[in-house]
Order: sequence, then structure tokens, then C-alpha cells
Amino acid sequence: MPTLKLERLCKRYASHEVIHSIDLEMADREFTVLVGPSGCGKSTTLRMIAGLETVSDGEIYIDGRPVSRLEPKERGLAMVFQDYALYPHMNVAKNMSFALRLEKKPKAEINKKVNEVAEMLGLSNLLHRKPAELSGGQRQRVAMGRALTRDAATFLFDEPLSNLDAKLRGQMRAELALMSQQVQKNMVYVTHDQVEAMTLADRIVVMQDGHIRQQGTPEELFRHPNSKFVAGFIGSPPMNFLKGVISQSGNETAVVGQGYKLSLSPEQAQRVSKQDNQEVILGIRPSDLSYAPDAKAEDALELKVVISEYIGAQSILLASCGDQNISVEIKSDQPVPLQETMKFAVHKGGLHLFDQKTEAAI
Amino acid sequence: MSGVINQRQSPAFGVLMVILIIMAIGPIMMMIATSLKLDVDIMSSTSGLLFLPTLQNYETVLCNALWYEPAHLDYCDPTFGRALKSSLIIALVSTIITLMLGTMAAYALVRFRFMGRGVISMTTLLMRMVPPAVLLVPVFGILTFDFCINDNCLAGTYSGIVLIYVAMNLPFVIWILQSFIVQVPIQLEEAARMDGANPFQVFYLVVLPLIKPGLAAASIFTFRIAWNEYLLANALLDRNTRTVPVTIVNSLTGYDTDWGVIMATGTLLAIPPIIFTFVASKQIITGMTAGAVKG
Repeated sequence: MPTLKLERLCKRYASHEVIHSIDLEMADREFTVLVGPSGCGKSTTLRMIAGLETVSDGEIYIDGRPVSRLEPKERGLAMVFQDYALYPHMNVAKNMSFALRLEKKPKAEINKKVNEVAEMLGLSNLLHRKPAELSGGQRQRVAMGRALTRDAATFLFDEPLSNLDAKLRGQMRAELALMSQQVQKNMVYVTHDQVEAMTLADRIVVMQDGHIRQQGTPEELFRHPNSKFVAGFIGSPPMNFLKGVISQSGNETAVVGQGYKLSLSPEQAQRVSKQDNQEVILGIRPSDLSYAPDAKAEDALELKVVISEYIGAQSILLASCGDQNISVEIKSDQPVPLQETMKFAVHKGGLHLFDQKTEAAI
Repeated sequence: MSGVINQRQSPAFGVLMVILIIMAIGPIMMMIATSLKLDVDIMSSTSGLLFLPTLQNYETVLCNALWYEPAHLDYCDPTFGRALKSSLIIALVSTIITLMLGTMAAYALVRFRFMGRGVISMTTLLMRMVPPAVLLVPVFGILTFDFCINDNCLAGTYSGIVLIYVAMNLPFVIWILQSFIVQVPIQLEEAARMDGANPFQVFYLVVLPLIKPGLAAASIFTFRIAWNEYLLANALLDRNTRTVPVTIVNSLTGYDTDWGVIMATGTLLAIPPIIFTFVASKQIITGMTAGAVKG
């Protein structure tokens, strides 16, 4: 049974519509990540679920119950904020027990719950500190602890890791993944960082300009993006896009562009076969290319490598294909000479085609 | 420490400092000294700083509040004791009411969007531009002739003057507290709402503790104004409710001025604001919201 459902949800500020009628269903105990560039409406959507923003149109259902007119506290949600939002005049224990104290729970029960959560998050010896005396990572943990002490059915996270430095963010991301496994609750998580989305999510919802562009498992989105936007947003380094034209000769269909001609698989050929000379955008992930001097011409790109960025086990090559730029991710142990034109083979299934006008996947 | 000018001060500077210090605390010292003298010492031209200190004047002032009957008094005049009590009641009550209304009004002006919000915010400050002397005559008329229940009007009552002081101080308190409330991160209030707090709990449990420094500053200000105010108090209070400043001025008559008692009253007048300011300023700690958001 889906526990959280958005139905034709809209948000308008005066006459300006920022969320355009989105529909979304989140399954029980699912970790859903809303991801998209800044200003795409993901935080607004989360805040509407939380009850901090009014809903202009449409409805939100929690366990089948319409909640869009209810106060935040009546929705049974817990939320972790981007800036932690810890009460500075209360110590860690007081911060974590605030909700329970408001509910007038018995003291013994509150203490038990706080100690339990503090234990889980490694905060046991910090319970008497004020937020000002904690480091960024500890504050983040307290903010999560505050959400966890409540027996909420759904947890909302609004970019909780964006204020941490890169190393700590990686660590907290792992802790968060572990925590979500332990507590087995519904999670809705907002981030602009696609790496966070990919690593944490059971399901990713990609948003742009107040629309949901695509939703699915991280692998689905990575393998089969439904539009150029999703393809470019998911994956790091981002997908390369080249202009091309479909050309057919005999029973072979190929995509031809400046300085390359790549043959399509039979399935792909079938999808494009109706229109000859169709203008398309060809997408190739940097990781779907590999250095192969003796590859067949119809399966390879001829690239002139300009720069090699060494990042450890992998290197990112910045190369040019005609007058278009393209990046390639290869293993660092293959030495690649610069300023020379070489062949890079495209892996099977590594070609993504998008319509030139609609940018939808073909 | 290279920026410090390490130069021998000229002796003239020292002399100037001494003169300034004497000018600043001299009158206060004289007041305290006189309050500890007997009438004989006050009037004699020879005594100066050499005298036998006595608390007799204080006993006279507080005669009706003491647990014993001072030996030197045949008759206990309650005027000054009563005035001290009136001053305390009026100043404290008006401060408390002003702060209660002020915090809520300031919070509403900062956080809620409603029609006329900008206008109200502006007019609260415009109110400050009207001098109390201008208000004196109309307020006197209103308190004397309007709002009467069975011939009991607001003039001469604590309620009347407290109402005026609240109205007088409210704009400034709202203005000062607005700047403190703006600094409370909105995420804290949202977090409290998510934690199940209703609007009043958000206000009392989250916002109020965080604007303590502002409350302290505003309360010092309000208390001192109510405590010092003379003009309106003189016009609006009667002999049973008069405050200390009014009583002191009234007892400075052309004949038989009891300087010892007046000075003792003056000294007592100085104590409550000092205590109040000392207690309240303890609350003024900077960086109250440190650690709330970000790092």
C-alpha cells in the first residue's frame, strides 16, 4: 500500500506557477530522492508535503488520508532541515526530546527514547552540550536524532548534507544509508547532488522547472534516461552530447555527424527507421568509451585528446570530435598520448538517441 | 600592540579627568551624604564631610513599612513610603504589560503577512514623534471625563497612568524587538512546527528564549521611563497614587523643606533602576542564536 501520494499537486505564488500538477506515489518503506537543479521545485514540493507551504491545488495523501489542509503536526512527519535548525537555547537531549515533551509523554519514556537514539547516532556523551559547542557533523546528527526520536511514519530530508565539507558529506551519506536500513521508514529526500541521489535512493524522481521529468530506480535512470535533461543530469562526469543525423544505406542504419559515423543496433534502428535524415542528438556516457586502436570504424569515434585529468584510478580525457567537445573516462594505467587522433570504441548499448526538438529519448 | 600610543599623559589631562569625575558623581555623593545627616548637620555651615552618619532620614521615609516604630518620630508621615510603593507598582506593571504586548505585536509584524502591516510598522514609530507634553492636555481630559464607571474615572488611578505609559513605550519596544525577532532563523520556527508545536508554543518555547537580550534591553528602557516620568504623573495622579519624582518636587516648598528626608528618598529612588538594570543586563548575551543554523 502506498503511504504517500501526491495528486495533481500545484503551487502558485500569486499568478506565478512553480509546481505544475505533479503526480507521485511512494511505496511503503521506500527511500525516494527528489533531485534536480536549483529552482526546480523539489524543496517546495517537500515543504508542501511537510505542511510548511500551502498547497495551491491538488491533494497529498498519507496512508490514503488527504492531509493538504492539516497542520504539520497532524501529518505525522519528521523533518531534517538543510541548516540543521537546532534550538540554540536547548542542549542536545532537550533538542531531541522537544517533540516528545510537547506531546507530554512520561519522563521515563522520553529519556529511554533519547538515550536509544543517541546511542544509535553516537551522541551519548554529547547530550548535555549546546548546539554551539558541536561540530558540523555532530549538529547534523543531532538534527537527524531529533527526527528519529519521534515515531513518525515518514521522514523528510531537505538537502541535509549540503553544508558539510566533501569528506564529511561522504561519511554522513554512508551513515544515512545505514540508518535508513535500520529504521525501515518512508524517506523523502531532497538534494541537488546526483551522487547523493544515486547512492541513497530506492527511487529517484528527477524534477525540472516544476515538472517531474522521470522517476525510477537509479539504474533505470542511468541506463534508460527518457530525455536529454535526465541523461545529462544523472551520471558523473555528465553524458556527452553530439549532433547527428540518421542515415540509412541498405539494411544498415547509422547516426552520422561531424567526424563520426556510428551504426545503430537493430532495436534502435527499428525505432528510428521511419524517418530518414532525422536530426538527432547522440548521447554517450564518458564511461561507455574505451581506447581501442583496432576497433571497427562503425563502432568507434576518432577523437583528438586535448587534456588528460588524472583523478586516481580513473582519468578523464577531454577530447574533440570535429568541433565538438567530448569527455572520456578511462583507467589510468593506459597511457594516452596527447594531441593525437585515436580511436575510442563505444560499448554495446552505449548509444542514446534524443530527438533534436523535443529532447525526448528515441 | 604597535598601535598603542605610548606617551606620557600631561598632568592637565589628569586634572581634567578629576574635574569630570567630580562633576559626574559629586551631586550623587552629596545626596547620599546629606541623606545620612541630621537636620542640624545639614543646616550648620561647619559640618561639611565630618558628621556622624545616621539612618534616621531613611527611617522617616520608610516609617510605615518598618517592623518597629522609629524612636525619633511622633507621627509617621506615609507620603514618601507610599510614593515609593506607587512608583514600583506603576513601573513594574507598565513594563510587564508593555513587554507582553510588544513581543507579540513585534512578532506578528515580522512574521505574519496581513493587510496594513507596513502602515502599522511605520505608524508605531511616528507615534514617537509626538512629545508627551502635547498629549498631556487631551489625555488629562480623557482620563478625567471619559471612561468613567459610577464617577470613578481613570484619572488618579494606577490603571490610568499604566495605560498611558504602555501606550507611550509600546512603539519603541515593538521597534526594538522587531530587529531581534528578524534575527531568529525562520527554520527554527518551522522545525518547531514540525515537532508539533502550535503557534503559541513556537512563540513561547522557541522565539521568546532567543530574544531574551532584546527583552532585557526593552525592559530596562521601559522601566526607566516609567520610573523617571514626571510630567504626566504630576497631572494624572492624585495624592494617594503619586510617584516619587512628583512627591519630591511637591515637597520642595518655600518653607520647612526637610532636606534629609528628600535626599533619602532620592537615594532610595536610585536603587530600583540600578538593581533592575543590573539583573536585566545579565540577560544581554550576544550570540544567542549561535549554533542554530549552519556552522
